[in-house]
Amino acid sequence: MDQKDILFKEIFDKNSKKIFHLCYGYTGDKDAANDLLQETFLKVWQNLEKFRNKSLISTWIYRIAVNTCLTYLRAEKRQAKEELTDNIVENKIEEFSEKNEQVALLYQSIAKLEENDRLIITMVLDELPYQEIAEISGISEGNLRVKIHRIKQKLTELYNQHARI
Amino acid sequence: MQEFNDIEAIWAKHTVEVSISADEMLKQAKKEVRSIRSKSLFNIFGMALSFFMIVAVWLFLSFQSFTTYIGISIFIGTVGVYTIILYNNYRIIAKNDFTLNPNQFITQLKRFQTNKIALYSKFYWLYTIALALAMGLFFIEVLDNFELWLKITVISVTVVWFIFSSTFLRKAFIKKDEEKVNLLIAKLERIGKQFNLEKD
Repeated sequence: MDQKDILFKEIFDKNSKKIFHLCYGYTGDKDAANDLLQETFLKVWQNLEKFRNKSLISTWIYRIAVNTCLTYLRAEKRQAKEELTDNIVENKIEEFSEKNEQVALLYQSIAKLEENDRLIITMVLDELPYQEIAEISGISEGNLRVKIHRIKQKLTELYNQHARI
Repeated sequence: MQEFNDIEAIWAKHTVEVSISADEMLKQAKKEVRSIRSKSLFNIFGMALSFFMIVAVWLFLSFQSFTTYIGISIFIGTVGVYTIILYNNYRIIAKNDFTLNPNQFITQLKRFQTNKIALYSKFYWLYTIALALAMGLFFIEVLDNFELWLKITVISVTVVWFIFSSTFLRKAFIKKDEEKVNLLIAKLERIGKQFNLEKD
């Protein structure tokens, strides 16, 4: 096994869970998240020579994952955005209702956010430092703090709305 | 009434299992990269083969009329230009840099996708007209000694093929690609606005 293979496997083992979390948070669908995870690591493999240690390797992988998620199109994309969001919500209810109602509600609420906000809040919930999130998303740290504050408020509001229903 | 701290606690309790192992992922990544490479190589090889076959017709067969040579030249030119465009398209796709930050990536991707639509719609007609002209010029001499029924058959088959390609085949191809590209552009515009809002 050559050096690149060993490095890749090490990178995959260290980062795959968090990247899967990001993809799952973005799509709300386990199969789609799996596809996105694989697509992300395929790109990691293809671009591994480009990584120049300018940032943490996790930051670099997160950036690839974010871009992969943003360009992800569902097979049934003919649906309008609202229909799509409802679909995600339905999937989540189905998958989580028996396990954990609160987690299901949380996913429902995340699904109601804008695409970019979904990714940012997933990283916040996974406790990535703000500086790293800013670097991944290409937003200044100041703007990011304001944005995160707004997303947190919005998410809490949505969560409470869903909880009441 | 929950606060954001409660939401964080709920999230922390939540775990997911990755269904693919590092070994499987490595195997798959290698397989996919090989398949992408062979597909693009196959495309380029196919176009290069057509190019050399037409050049061989020019070199090894002798024709009397200058119209035939003009026809073959147009063929060579069209296939050559198409090969270059195919190669450039491949480079554009390969240049989509997922390692860029999302804001830059979206701007770059949107430009590429818009170019792609323009290329498919504008270039297709130039390509068809050039090929039709080349065929027409080529047939003047080549069909000259053919019997009338054979002339009519060859010309009819060519015309039917052109109509079929520029209607059914083209529409099916464009529909498949355009729908995807349009959806992606609409999505990129929406996400682009989300990024721009952050700058305000």
